[in-house]
Amino acid sequence: MNKDQIIQTINLSKKYKNRWAVTDINLDIRQGQVFGFLGPNGAGKSTTIRMLLSLIRPTRGAFRLFGCANSRNIYRRIGALIEKPDFYLYLSGYRNLKILADLTGGISNDAINEALEIVKLKGREHEKVKNYSHGMKQRLGIAQALMSNPELLILDEPTTGLDPEGIKEVRDLITDMANDLGITIFLSSHRLYEIEQVCTHMAIIDHGKMVIQGDVQGLLRDTNFFVTEVEVDNPDKAYKLLAEEEWIKKTTLSERILKVQVAGNFRPRLVDFLVSHDLKVSSIVPRTHLEDFYLSLIEQRGQI
Amino acid sequence: MISLLTATRLELIKTYSRYRTYIGFVTISILVPLIMWLVRKYGFDEMQGNTLNSLENSFVFVGSLVNGLLISYYLMTVLWVHFPFFIVLVGGDIVASESSAGTFRLWLSRPVSRFTVLTSKFLATFIYTSSIVFFLGLCSVGCGILIIGGGDLLVFDKGILILSQEEALLRFLLAYSLAVCVQMVVASLSFLFSTMSNNSVGPIIGTYAIIVVSLILSVLRIDALDGIRPYLFTSYFDVFFAPFADPIPWEEIKFNLSRLGIFIAVFYSLSLISFLRKDICT
Repeated sequence: MNKDQIIQTINLSKKYKNRWAVTDINLDIRQGQVFGFLGPNGAGKSTTIRMLLSLIRPTRGAFRLFGCANSRNIYRRIGALIEKPDFYLYLSGYRNLKILADLTGGISNDAINEALEIVKLKGREHEKVKNYSHGMKQRLGIAQALMSNPELLILDEPTTGLDPEGIKEVRDLITDMANDLGITIFLSSHRLYEIEQVCTHMAIIDHGKMVIQGDVQGLLRDTNFFVTEVEVDNPDKAYKLLAEEEWIKKTTLSERILKVQVAGNFRPRLVDFLVSHDLKVSSIVPRTHLEDFYLSLIEQRGQI
Repeated sequence: MISLLTATRLELIKTYSRYRTYIGFVTISILVPLIMWLVRKYGFDEMQGNTLNSLENSFVFVGSLVNGLLISYYLMTVLWVHFPFFIVLVGGDIVASESSAGTFRLWLSRPVSRFTVLTSKFLATFIYTSSIVFFLGLCSVGCGILIIGGGDLLVFDKGILILSQEEALLRFLLAYSLAVCVQMVVASLSFLFSTMSNNSVGPIIGTYAIIVVSLILSVLRIDALDGIRPYLFTSYFDVFFAPFADPIPWEEIKFNLSRLGIFIAVFYSLSLISFLRKDICT
């Protein structure tokens, strides 16, 4: 057990009746990491998170949080937001936070107010939650996760229901918490751009099984995954020509821009190839989008 | 880890912040004074006649024997079938509503054990049950004395028992304390169903159905049912009438209380097993 190991799962598995929702998930999340947890709907992300929060019991395997197994006190060091946060609608936002604070223990009223300030709910905290918009409930959910000054934040789709400004604020907040406070963040999200922007490490699961795990930039680099965006004078002709070439993994044409999946060292060859076929190349831009990487991986597994 | 006391306090805040908790209190506040007023206004003579009908040949009664305490005594019969509705309304909802609302996800991801969470809910249910039972008692006896008037309580047991007002009030206190135990069986049964369900309608209807069926089986004087009667919790429900006997049958009360206690313990234990194994998926 490494000292800075915050989350460790060992063959974590969950079976619902006859269906394995999660099989042999091995996660290794270290202190200070912003860890993105990716996968299509039904891949097992929420099931994994629920097991970590002991909302459901693993069928097989185990997990350790801060190096400890089976200790409820550990959850004092964790803030969690699981999918859409559900509060007591008949109580005010402040009263909801106060109850959760008392349940956690050691959270002052100032800490509650500070959390409300961060999520910009100050001034509305004494209204009943049933009168809150979806975005406000989401903010309240983030506030309850933050108010205990956690060492580990587990966030499951934290920006759901937020407006673009709110999404950016949460994204910035996550980055700040990780960078300034050294909080370890475990973030499940469908927003690949979000993961790419804020996460240092990530794991992709599909059909309940781990597909890949590692640091974001390293994975993109090591898997030699590049997409090169090319603009030519006759993209249809170029698309047909490139589609027949074996050294090119994949070509797509969208809004007159060719997206060519090709290893980085093949890029000069790509330009030569296009020019040799009387195509005028006006731009060539190498990109390594997580989205392309993710979709490519999922496609390889027969998802699309 | 968070203490059971704190968790119970928080549970009580939630319970008493809900409108449904007050349905019973409001209904009792309206119905009991109304019944007392109606008896005073319209049913006094008729009731006096019915009460004394069979006795007038043997005894000479001077004054009125129908008073607030007697009506309160009769009102205690609501504790059999009608009153449990107010109990299951809260007991059947207290766990299931959190499952359906999704709030357990917030509670159970805190440094609090499931045992503490469930036990705090059970204690909150007990406090609610006690408060509403005693509220009925207070309303019933209080309104009875205020609206109809006090006096000696005439009880037909194995004979005629006449209790002075002071003695009757003490007996009422004991009777309602025993009624708390009876209603706690109802509460713990609905609590059990509540832990097994993700909505509160099922536990409420389920508990009520069992109470009605069990009561019918308990009161039916059929020999074939003798074997199962000891296993029906409703067979011990009439314990709250025991204090109105002379002498008070303490042995019978102890026996019935122990049986009711066993039912409460079994229902709570099953609830705990169910809750500890429950996956919070919603």
